[in-house]
Amino acid sequence: MFSLIADRRDIAAGARAMLPWLIGVVPFGLVIGLSAAQASIPTLAGWLTGPLIYAGSAQVAVIQMLDAGAAPMVVILAALVINLRLILYSATMARHWRGTPWWWRMVAGYLLIDPSFAVGLDGYDRPANRSRAHAHYFGGAVVLWAAWLVAIGTGAMLGAGLPGWLQLEFVIPLFLVGEVVSKLADPALRRAVLVAAAVAVLSLAAPLHLGIVLAIVAGIAAGLTAQRRPRQLPAEPRQSAGPYPAAERQLTVEVTR
Amino acid sequence: MTVWIVILVAGLGSYLFRLSMIVLADRITMPAYLERATGFVAPAAFAALAAAAVAAACLELGATRAAAPLAALAVAVVAVLRTGSPYAAIFAGMPVLWIATALLPA
Repeated sequence: MFSLIADRRDIAAGARAMLPWLIGVVPFGLVIGLSAAQASIPTLAGWLTGPLIYAGSAQVAVIQMLDAGAAPMVVILAALVINLRLILYSATMARHWRGTPWWWRMVAGYLLIDPSFAVGLDGYDRPANRSRAHAHYFGGAVVLWAAWLVAIGTGAMLGAGLPGWLQLEFVIPLFLVGEVVSKLADPALRRAVLVAAAVAVLSLAAPLHLGIVLAIVAGIAAGLTAQRRPRQLPAEPRQSAGPYPAAERQLTVEVTR
Repeated sequence: MTVWIVILVAGLGSYLFRLSMIVLADRITMPAYLERATGFVAPAAFAALAAAAVAAACLELGATRAAAPLAALAVAVVAVLRTGSPYAAIFAGMPVLWIATALLPA
């Protein structure tokens, strides 16, 4: 394991590597906080999605669906479908964390999410010794965690004091529209998006808000069955990693969302 | 009460996903299509949530007043396409929503 003092340079390097990601992550956290304050659930509960679920897209789904009055099982199902990718990240990190103490796996695993995964993998890709790479991951992951919780908290506090005519409940749908529309250039993604949106509208009357889960699954299936692009998926996992919207957008800039 | 339990269970499930392979498997190669699928999860989820939210709002508002969110949506789409920035949807859409809501008969 790394030492907080001896490996402080690697911790700091990981933290620095996380900074560009925060440009996308912090506004997303603010928007989630804002929506938590507007939703018909206790604001504290909305904020708690941060430390408990710790995955932006799933948090949005949970807050939106609870606000709309969806059945508890359906909300949980939607969150877990969205977070299934964490199993993939877990599998990738298992290679690097083999033989580490259990407490490290508990903590490092808790902090595992798209940006920390990408920044962490960078460290493990380098030929340095493993404990230095752990320090690199830790530095980035802790900065992300702190920034995320502060951003959601700030958004929640701002949102609570704003008047009703602002109709802030529309901020999240518009945010999601922005995320989705900026991806329409990719044919496979476009297919996934259009199918998911169509199924969601058509199944609006479905009981328990099951339509949302159905739409997500249909969208993923539509994307998967789309014609593969000539320049196919990058082999490196971090490039196909992503559904942390803001974070992913940065991958788009550097590589692809 | 239910709200807290839902958030707790969703969080616990997500944590178990994170720990799953770290704890269970030493070395597992994931099938390629699964890795490919992860790239579609967020866009599909976002599209579904956005479409459902807008459609539900329109149904609630009724035929005339529904024009406000629809106008905001249209302007948001155009703004994102023109600027390439996802946040343009909020900055262009919200003012349109406010103005349209104010102008439309109650």
